[in-house]
Amino acid sequence: MKPHWRWFLGGLAAALAIVVLALLFAAYQMPELLIDWANLNYCS
Amino acid sequence: MNPAPNSWRTPTAILIAGCVILTLSMGVRHTAGLFLQPMTVDHGWSRETFSFAIALQNLVWGLASPFAGALADRYGAGRTVAAAAVLYAIGLGLMAYADAPLAFDLSAGVLIGLGLSGTTFAVIMGVIGRHTTPEKRSLALGIASAGGSFGQFAVLPVGQMMITAYGWQSALLLLACGVGLIAPLANALADGHRPSAGAGQSVGQALREAGGQRSFHYLFWGYFVCGFQTAFIMLHLPAFLVDAGLSANVGMTAVALIGLFNILGSFLFGWGGGCYSKKNLLVLIYAARAVAILVFMLIPLSTASAWLFAAAMGILWLGTVPLTNGLVAQIFGLRYMSMLTGVVFLGHQLGSFLGAWLGGRIFDETGSYSLAWGIAIGLSVLAALCSAPIDERPLARAGGAA
Repeated sequence: MKPHWRWFLGGLAAALAIVVLALLFAAYQMPELLIDWANLNYCS
Repeated sequence: MNPAPNSWRTPTAILIAGCVILTLSMGVRHTAGLFLQPMTVDHGWSRETFSFAIALQNLVWGLASPFAGALADRYGAGRTVAAAAVLYAIGLGLMAYADAPLAFDLSAGVLIGLGLSGTTFAVIMGVIGRHTTPEKRSLALGIASAGGSFGQFAVLPVGQMMITAYGWQSALLLLACGVGLIAPLANALADGHRPSAGAGQSVGQALREAGGQRSFHYLFWGYFVCGFQTAFIMLHLPAFLVDAGLSANVGMTAVALIGLFNILGSFLFGWGGGCYSKKNLLVLIYAARAVAILVFMLIPLSTASAWLFAAAMGILWLGTVPLTNGLVAQIFGLRYMSMLTGVVFLGHQLGSFLGAWLGGRIFDETGSYSLAWGIAIGLSVLAALCSAPIDERPLARAGGAA
């Protein structure tokens, strides 16, 4: 694989990873999860 | 160390399979708490009934880890992981239909605990460790730890979405299907490792040798402290913040920050272990945890301080995993790495059990978490002091057994 393609695909993967992590982080703000967080106090 | 020529089980393939297995296994395990409310309400159980089974799961996980490691060392990681994945999936499936506390203890407690022992760090780190060069081993273990950390961070909201969309029973069956994917993935870990078939150390000799080394005990008790702190903070930090007048949203964001920064920390300390002394990095982690908790206790509590503390602890969270596992491989060799890391992991689980339980007990007795935070600081200092004298040199053996 040519170096510029390697850089492109690496950058794409990094960008996708950041988007996925940001979406997951946002998912933690779900009201259902907030309510059920109390459960984890007992048995995480 | 390396696969046979033309084998598709390259070190990269094994590392990727190990990461995915850890993501699934650690991630699904992390969702257990989400089922407390719906299951106890539907079955009319007390919260103690549910939490006892999960506490049992943690103990079985820790107690079975050395045996799972020994099985992986004796019969191969592929078979051990596949068998454990089947037990894990059956445990989740039976958990969905358990309508009596005993059935729940056996499914959620014993079966899932056994499944976890064969699909998590002890076995996976052993096979990854065998397929990487000493220079790259710590980095590879760090990437695998980051996979487990990502699972903990990612699967929790997914599990909650499943419960919301399909109900808790279907969510458990869907998670069982997810865990079932581990069984075919385990094929990538079937590397034909058969140490016991050849000449050299027996299992008993390896255990006696490790038990006779101070460094092994230091690693065990350091990991005990790690388990104590992570269990205590993950369980009690949100309640601590809410008690102090902050909103539940702040507690949830703190948990998300721990998960997010844990991915980064696992990778960074794994990488660092390949460049610097692993025991010095362990000293740094435990000392930094003591400082972080102390500062968190001393400065006025606010949303910003809670989030900064969560981010700092996240960086330091599972960085101990690649370093501790890497030191076991470095000192005792790769032959019984899975079994010996399983023994050390037992210390982690005993600490987890104590941290989770003692935090609640102290709060019930004193009405505050102050003493528990104090114990966490003291233990951190002890763990740093314990890690400093670890002798990182490989053991010299007659015959040069690796």
